[in-house]
Amino acid sequence: MARDYDHLFKLLIIGDSGVGKSSLLLRFSDNTFTGSYITTIGVDFKIKTVHVNGQKVKLQIWDTAGQERFRTITSTYYRGTHGVIVVYDVTNGESFANVKRWLHEIEQNCDLVNKVLVGNKNDTPERKVVLTEDAQRFADTMNIQLFETSAKDNINVEEMFLAITRLVLRSKLDMMERQNVTQNDTVNLRKTNKQNKKNKCC
Amino acid sequence: MLAVHRDVLNIVQAKFLSAEVVRSIHLNVSAIDGRRCDENRILALVEYNNSFALFILISSKIKPLSISDLSIETVIPIDEYFSCDTEPIEGSQFHIIFIITYKKIVRAFKIEIGLESSNFASEVIRSKEVSLYNKPIFVWLDKYIGTMSEPSHTSDLGQTDTPIIRQHIAQGPSGINRDSMLKYQLKLKEPEFTQKQEFSIFVGTWNVNGQPPSISLRPWLSCDENPPDLYAVGFQEIDLSKEAFLFNDTPREAEWYKYVMEGVHPKAKYKLVGLARLVGMQLVVMVNSQHYPYVKNISVDTIGTGLLGKMGNKGGVGVRMELHNTSLCFVNSHLAAHVDEYERRNQDYKDINARMNFKRTPQAIKDHEQVYWLGDLNYRITDLTTTQVKTLLNRHELPTLLRADQLNQQKERGNVLLDYEEGDIKFQPTYKYDLNTDTFDTSEKARPPAWTDRILWRGKGVYQVAYRSHMDLRLSDHKPVSALFKSEISVVDPSKYRRVHEELLKKMDKYENEYLPQVTVDQTEVVFELVKFRERQTREITIANTGMVPAEFEFIKKLDENSYCKDWLRIIPYCGSINPGEKCDVKLEVCLETDLTKIYDILVLHLKGGKDMFIIINGDCQKSSFTTSISTLCRISVPIMQVTDEQWRLALKDVSESSVLYSVPRELWLIIDHLYRHGLKTRDLFESSALHEEIIRIRDWLDFGSLDPLPGNVQAVAETLLLFLSFTKDPVIPYDVHDACIAAASNFQNCRQIVLQKVSDLHRNVFLYICMFLQEILKYSNDNGYDAKTLASLFGDILLRDQIRNSKPQASRGKSNFVYNFLVNDMSSSIMPHK
Repeated sequence: MARDYDHLFKLLIIGDSGVGKSSLLLRFSDNTFTGSYITTIGVDFKIKTVHVNGQKVKLQIWDTAGQERFRTITSTYYRGTHGVIVVYDVTNGESFANVKRWLHEIEQNCDLVNKVLVGNKNDTPERKVVLTEDAQRFADTMNIQLFETSAKDNINVEEMFLAITRLVLRSKLDMMERQNVTQNDTVNLRKTNKQNKKNKCC
Repeated sequence: MLAVHRDVLNIVQAKFLSAEVVRSIHLNVSAIDGRRCDENRILALVEYNNSFALFILISSKIKPLSISDLSIETVIPIDEYFSCDTEPIEGSQFHIIFIITYKKIVRAFKIEIGLESSNFASEVIRSKEVSLYNKPIFVWLDKYIGTMSEPSHTSDLGQTDTPIIRQHIAQGPSGINRDSMLKYQLKLKEPEFTQKQEFSIFVGTWNVNGQPPSISLRPWLSCDENPPDLYAVGFQEIDLSKEAFLFNDTPREAEWYKYVMEGVHPKAKYKLVGLARLVGMQLVVMVNSQHYPYVKNISVDTIGTGLLGKMGNKGGVGVRMELHNTSLCFVNSHLAAHVDEYERRNQDYKDINARMNFKRTPQAIKDHEQVYWLGDLNYRITDLTTTQVKTLLNRHELPTLLRADQLNQQKERGNVLLDYEEGDIKFQPTYKYDLNTDTFDTSEKARPPAWTDRILWRGKGVYQVAYRSHMDLRLSDHKPVSALFKSEISVVDPSKYRRVHEELLKKMDKYENEYLPQVTVDQTEVVFELVKFRERQTREITIANTGMVPAEFEFIKKLDENSYCKDWLRIIPYCGSINPGEKCDVKLEVCLETDLTKIYDILVLHLKGGKDMFIIINGDCQKSSFTTSISTLCRISVPIMQVTDEQWRLALKDVSESSVLYSVPRELWLIIDHLYRHGLKTRDLFESSALHEEIIRIRDWLDFGSLDPLPGNVQAVAETLLLFLSFTKDPVIPYDVHDACIAAASNFQNCRQIVLQKVSDLHRNVFLYICMFLQEILKYSNDNGYDAKTLASLFGDILLRDQIRNSKPQASRGKSNFVYNFLVNDMSSSIMPHK
């Protein structure tokens, strides 16, 4: 009979205050959106189980306060994270400029982690100031996948979360495979040793 | 169906007319109504002429014994307005909430997770489906509505809302057990993603009397025209040797297995599912190889109930599996022998049931959806002689004989195989024959013939097609028996399953998120008014539990900090538990005892198993001479609040002796001068505790400056002196010489050397100034009652105060001995006037 999940991953959403981190999470977990802005003062999480490559992946997605004054505290929540979603607001150039700082923050606090870059609020073209080409160029140089989303109009949100989940899953499977290979190597080495000894005896 | 279950079903049925059939019941139900939880409810699904209704019965006893123990509480017709659902119970793997909604009525019941509940729920769901097609008429319910014990109850229930129920239930300590939840929900929804498919199952049993196989088994195993989908073939006494008995090892296992494989139906290929053997009992379960991919979770177990109650000469062997989505269990048993030992046989049966454990869920025999029980059960025909039996057989009076059959009798009395069914026996007794003949025992013992070899079953959707013996196999003193079943197996539709599964996961994610502790805090930024030295200020924040579960909160440490808040703050309480819908006021109290210019901190309010919230604490602080260093105070000429920013900056920064204006801080001089003039003769000068307001007034007088005389009585001023010395930014005697002072305490000259060489000028001045003042007090010891020892111990802990406050003073005696030296010796030589 079915098991609850095959993998459990922790994802973290970071980015400047007001870029829509909580809205992205709410859209993904509850498929809802509220226009009223409530700034997150703290860290909160939600559970969501998704199917990726035929596997059940349970996600624990943490939403963090973006305000500068909480930066040192929120950085302690990076521990144990499998994937980080860095969010900026396509209508706010400064939030895009700050992405570098957030990426730096990840480097400081995480070892090996998968990342995606997300330009949210991509629903009002006339207010868009961060051009897709610029963001894409930046993402390419940083070797990160870029998603332009709208939590409000439910554009690209699911795709983005599934993409980061796929990245995290692939990393895990790759690592397991590598471990297996190493183990096999050890076994092989031993075998060769034995054979060598035998040869000497003969 | 369990014995209790069947008994109660009969009693419940008696409550209704015979045309109103009780289709299914659920025992041990607790009705949940807001905060109340009433036990002893029974749910009954009753059908009359294709119209179904759900009856909620109150039982005055845990197990009702007669219809007078039952009363009808509520009747709910099952029509288009009826729906039912289940919800998990926080922290419980064993119970679940069964919710029935009918128009405005919502009823919730706590029921145990298991076969009973899943059967009941699926019956209810099915009845709803039936009612949708049939346009049921519910006139027959009218007579029961009048008998309802609480007729007004139904309308009250309209207000009971599901979330309240959840809140009530959700008092458990931990999250939902999603695994068992998912399993249970999937089982409930099984009809949505499976369809019943008929499988033919051939079950055979033969006691071979220790004879090695030598004849083809085809006449037995392949007697039907079409090949069965599944075989369960059981043998008893395949080996009667001591070796087999003692070491449970016999070559016959492989031999009989080979004969079975050769004997199976030639029109199909079979694959072994499981083989269980204990001494002479052997059970081989095979499946048509096209079904093999759909066989899962195979497990076998063997139970000995023979000699000493555990040896394998008697007992049972079992193979369990899941075929598609239906759990099947086959048990081959050889129960105790001899005519009179039927109670022993009953006991063997019970022992096998109790002890057989497949180490997988479901683990017990009874937990399987379909169980097939076969074997040499060894029940005989009682109270009839061999001749009588044979005569009746010759007259084909099988019913008379079957009434005398012990198994039928014991089963009737509920002592064995209670909830199992058996097909009609239309074949001759299968025991005991002379070997290689069809002749009943002609030996001296001339045992009466008996139907020792039987096949029974329990479970839904099992239909027996044939039940027969096979006379042609004459190898043993028993004849083989076989039964052919058409059994309904739930076959999963993968795409439907995926859809249901995903929906359930979604639902469970929703539950899990809903069950996360949730609180709101009325303010996330707490600003204190101007914070002053030792003037307590409190603010209150209110944490409200807005979630479904009790919220355990705790203010937690931030990384690299050693406490959950700074030492100027107290949080009361700093942890606690809030029930859903309730609030908790948390007091934040600031008490400043250091020279901070601002207080600022971010508190982390953590919910166990949930989110963290940040609360910002903010406030400006007022300067005070009490927390300023001696050296700074000696460099300012006016009360501290009159000092300009520039002066303050210089006073803090300047370390050169040149800028020193006073030998001792101005404030200290003012206090001591006051005490000198008014307090020398005061008894217990330092012992009485002043009013907090008095101390605050003296503090402000010193910090702001005033033309008024020093406020407060002399004891308050004396306490101010102790406070002042206790909180100066650095202690009068620096921390790093405390050990030396304590070591030197027995020798005044050594003590003097330390003070002269190791203590800076200003601190030495303050120290000696205090000591001289204390010497002055001692001159009036007759009036004030002080002696040098008392004063030394009082001031020792202050002048040489510990770095960590609020703990028990360290090495108190040594410090007071040190100070004592300076109270009883002439110190004039120690004083070096300020240059």
